[in-house]
Amino acid sequence: MAAKKKIITLPKVIQIFFYGLALIAVCSLSLLPLVVLFKISIATPEMTMGETLSNFGAFYWDNYRAAWDNSNLGQAVLNSLIITLGALAAVVVASSMAGYAIARYPTWYNRAFYKIILVSMMIPAVLSTVPLYIIMKGINGMNTYWAMILLLAAQTLPFSIFVYTGFIRGVPHEIEEAAIIDGCTPFTAFWHVTFPMLKPVTASIVIIQGVSIWNNYGQAVYFLTKSNMVTIPLSINRFFDKYSANWPQMAAAAIIGILPTIVVFVAFQRYFVKGLTAGAVKG
Amino acid sequence: MTLTKAREKGNWLLNNLHKGMIWPAFLLFLAFVLLPLVFSVGFSFTSWNGLGKADWVGFDNFAVFFQDDRARNAVLNSLLFAGCSVPLLNFLGLGYALLLDKNSTLNKIVKAIVYVPAVISPLIMGYVWLLILKDNYGVLYSLFSLFGNGDAYVNLLGDKNWAMAVIIVVNAFQYVGLTMTIYSAGLQDIPSELYESASVDGANWFQKFTHITIPMLGPSIMINIITNIIGSLAVFDLVVSLTGGGPAYHTETLSLYIYRLAYGGRSGYASAVSVMMFFLIAIPVGISYYIMRKSNLYLNEEK
Repeated sequence: MAAKKKIITLPKVIQIFFYGLALIAVCSLSLLPLVVLFKISIATPEMTMGETLSNFGAFYWDNYRAAWDNSNLGQAVLNSLIITLGALAAVVVASSMAGYAIARYPTWYNRAFYKIILVSMMIPAVLSTVPLYIIMKGINGMNTYWAMILLLAAQTLPFSIFVYTGFIRGVPHEIEEAAIIDGCTPFTAFWHVTFPMLKPVTASIVIIQGVSIWNNYGQAVYFLTKSNMVTIPLSINRFFDKYSANWPQMAAAAIIGILPTIVVFVAFQRYFVKGLTAGAVKG
Repeated sequence: MTLTKAREKGNWLLNNLHKGMIWPAFLLFLAFVLLPLVFSVGFSFTSWNGLGKADWVGFDNFAVFFQDDRARNAVLNSLLFAGCSVPLLNFLGLGYALLLDKNSTLNKIVKAIVYVPAVISPLIMGYVWLLILKDNYGVLYSLFSLFGNGDAYVNLLGDKNWAMAVIIVVNAFQYVGLTMTIYSAGLQDIPSELYESASVDGANWFQKFTHITIPMLGPSIMINIITNIIGSLAVFDLVVSLTGGGPAYHTETLSLYIYRLAYGGRSGYASAVSVMMFFLIAIPVGISYYIMRKSNLYLNEEK
């Protein structure tokens, strides 16, 4: 018989139709709030919500500048950046080394630490609020970058160690041994040989934990109380309390606040998925 | 072993530096995670108010806890939220994963879109929904007005029965991407031979689903349920921005109550409530872990 012609039958068409419909429904459910937020953010302050929704010609970008000026968002972006980058550097250094120690030198105390870390992933940070407050006061860490950096690094530590340990166990140790024969110590062998091989995990950790540190509100609200120390979520929180009548500006402020995480997600999407599933599969 | 031989040559300190590689992580963890948790238990036996000195009151705080209507209300709200969120997130996540299982570019894009809300601060997400749901000004109200009748709009966030439902649904659509991603990865790992041989044996899709898909997804189900239980029992940001615990105390969860106690100067009691919250999380997590062990849906954790 000659080459079979691809026949699209009626049931097939219906199937494709409903599949497409389902995909559109799924996407709208996730994106609709953001589209609405954007629509509000470009409305003029005088417009009622009804006009905002029915008028598709208005593009009033001034809300963004006004929100930026009125809310100290610039300072908040800077604070969030310093804290996020600082905490990421600390957590990557500490957790990759710890993962290496646990995977390569499973002494009783390294194994015990790993077990405690696993259990601690079950405990939400809110439970230690009161003592943390005392510790932060005691080390003069209230309203400082360094204390917030260490605190958030510590909180993202367990998951990071967990992912690093699982990955390092899968890296053949012969490579480090070869480096040691060539004159490295076990410590330098880690930094020169193993750590560069961990790039994909490091990328995942940086992306996943970076977003969670950037979005942190539950700790920041206790320990960053001065207005020049606020991070993005705190600043939006204050802005919404203060300007609760000016909706377009509130929406613009919210968009400025969430844009960085969305951009990072779109750019490094595959590392999100990898990091999440590495945690799940190795778990 | 070559490692031990290598250690014999050269400087002792440099050669032993690797033994200290656990220390930075250990100290961070000790100072900001472990010690605070231990102290939390200690404070729970005091009447400390956050400023003066702490008096030992034994189990008084716990006795108060069991008489405290607001605490009971917060526990019930947290349980209600978790009890609805965990199944909703998992059914939705699994449904999405099954729908988008075929490995096409279109599906990958849709998966990415579904994940987007999960990278947005839950606090800000709450405010977004506030703009949508707010009475008299909000988007939904205006839509009701545009198409006839604004009075027909029920102020969902101001209604004691609806407010919690709104938080549950908003939370589900924010985090369904996480659950979906774990299920998707689990589905990809199921060997297609299993389905092929089941087809040869005449199994229909439902039999394949219950006898192959679900059992093979065991570890994914376990990861999702446990992380969802922990996450939803600790829900905080979303409640702060959506309802602030209101109307009255109808959506005040345990995290929010602890926050208010700590700010209200009742540090000792806040610690006691935290300890109770630990058990509230540990018990369902422990039970689901045990059930899944029993039903052979285990994980290989120590390799």
